[in-house]
Amino acid sequence: MNMGGAIRALISFLIFIVLHYTLRPLLGWRAPMDFLILALLLASVRVRPSTAALIGFALGLISDSLAPDALGAGALAMTAVGFGASYLKAVFFADNLVLNAFFFFLGKWVFDILYFIGEQRVHGFELLQQLLLWSPLSAAVTAAVGVLLLFIMRPLLEPSPT
Amino acid sequence: MARAIRSNPRLDLIVVSTCIVLALVARALPNTMRDPLATGMRRTFLAPLVMLQERSERGRQSLLQADAKQARVDSLALTSMNAGSLESENERLRKVIGLGSRLRWGFIPTEALHGRGVRDETTVILSAGSRAGVSRLSPVIAPEGLVGVVDQVDPTMSHAMLWTHPDFRVSAMSPDGTAFGIAQAHLTGSATGGYLIELRGVPFRATLKPGAVIVSSGWGGVWPRGIPIGTVLEEMKTSEGWARTYLLRPAVNPSDVYSVMILRRDRLAKGFDGVWQNTAQVDQATQRILVSGDSAARAAALAEAAARRAVLDSIARANGGAPLGVTDSARAVEMAPKPAPIRRPPVDTAAARLRRDSIARETIRRDSAVTPPTDTTPPRPPGATR
Repeated sequence: MNMGGAIRALISFLIFIVLHYTLRPLLGWRAPMDFLILALLLASVRVRPSTAALIGFALGLISDSLAPDALGAGALAMTAVGFGASYLKAVFFADNLVLNAFFFFLGKWVFDILYFIGEQRVHGFELLQQLLLWSPLSAAVTAAVGVLLLFIMRPLLEPSPT
Repeated sequence: MARAIRSNPRLDLIVVSTCIVLALVARALPNTMRDPLATGMRRTFLAPLVMLQERSERGRQSLLQADAKQARVDSLALTSMNAGSLESENERLRKVIGLGSRLRWGFIPTEALHGRGVRDETTVILSAGSRAGVSRLSPVIAPEGLVGVVDQVDPTMSHAMLWTHPDFRVSAMSPDGTAFGIAQAHLTGSATGGYLIELRGVPFRATLKPGAVIVSSGWGGVWPRGIPIGTVLEEMKTSEGWARTYLLRPAVNPSDVYSVMILRRDRLAKGFDGVWQNTAQVDQATQRILVSGDSAARAAALAEAAARRAVLDSIARANGGAPLGVTDSARAVEMAPKPAPIRRPPVDTAAARLRRDSIARETIRRDSAVTPPTDTTPPRPPGATR
């Protein structure tokens, strides 16, 4: 990735982070979209797995700092998701919106599974309900929003011709 | 999506393992260490993001509460609108109750129902009739004073002619009995003319000051003595040379008449001593204030003139000349071997009169705020006292 592509990717990354802390609380949905996951996934496919893991760790700490009781859970989940996304990027390399949506959906759902298990705050039926109902819903919303943003921000996210 | 070149899997595994271990360590931290760590991050490099989130949540709360807030504001506005009318109605009802307690007996409290027709500003329907003891020509009064007279009586309601009616007349006088006249509506065709009263036929020797209260005289047998009619605004120019005509501000505005009292005929003969005493007291207090204001202005003018004269005299003496204000002839007299004349402080009557007139003019202007002031008051002769 050349310098121009890196800068554009960084701008998109920052836009996603800002959206996470502005649009998400403004909407306040019960199954919210997760812009941090979108940012992580979009960054992970552009970097090495180790860098993706570091980015995931940093984003996880950022999200955990606003919920100190779960400090570390988010970092752990995002490290795993970032590393996995970067490792499996060949699978999702195709420039297909549906495949990308599935990629976002899977990333968010895996993150939620790891997060809620690592957080250990909800148990039993409530955990099942969260993981099998609300997390897929949130993942679906995240995927839909991610595809929409991919479409909107295509000029920023397109790889520059080399 | 772009693809990055993957290389050195061992390094990747080391990094991801380190991150996972660090995350697990952070997860395993006790609360005493976890909270300061999270707080430190929130207060430093995450502060802008925290601020963004806080503002967004506040915006969401505002959006959610906007309808409820608007409904509350509407309710408050409606309540405040009603509160004003309720407050005025409450005050008016209290006055009516106070009037009833002073009258003690012989009155019929009733509601005045206004119509919307052309002539309805001169008449009202009263919700009490002959069954309640109302008879024709019964006076209708309000706490402030005279309202009108009953001209038609039905069993359950009656019809009253307000003082704004062109045919309405009442014999009136000043409270001290020095001036008498006939009060009637001031019908000039102007916008405010219908809401003022003329006091006609006042003897030329009797002068009324602006602000003086005019009451019913009791002559004629319809109206008892002492019911306030209005206050003098100014004297009107008329072609009649043998009598004066004054413009009065009515004690009762007909558009504000809703709760009134009808006086029974048997009550009229018993007198109304003390019923409108407060009004008379207010009038007397007003007169006292005016008189004391005149006296104070006069005294201040005299003192100022004396002080000015003393300063000028002392300056003149210091310059070796005669005191100012002493003429040559006076100096000659002073040089003669005679006892020095006693020099009284000159009275600046012009200044004092000017001050008095200005005070009175202000009073007139203040009192005549209802109507545009007209210069109908004849010029007062110089030196006349109030």
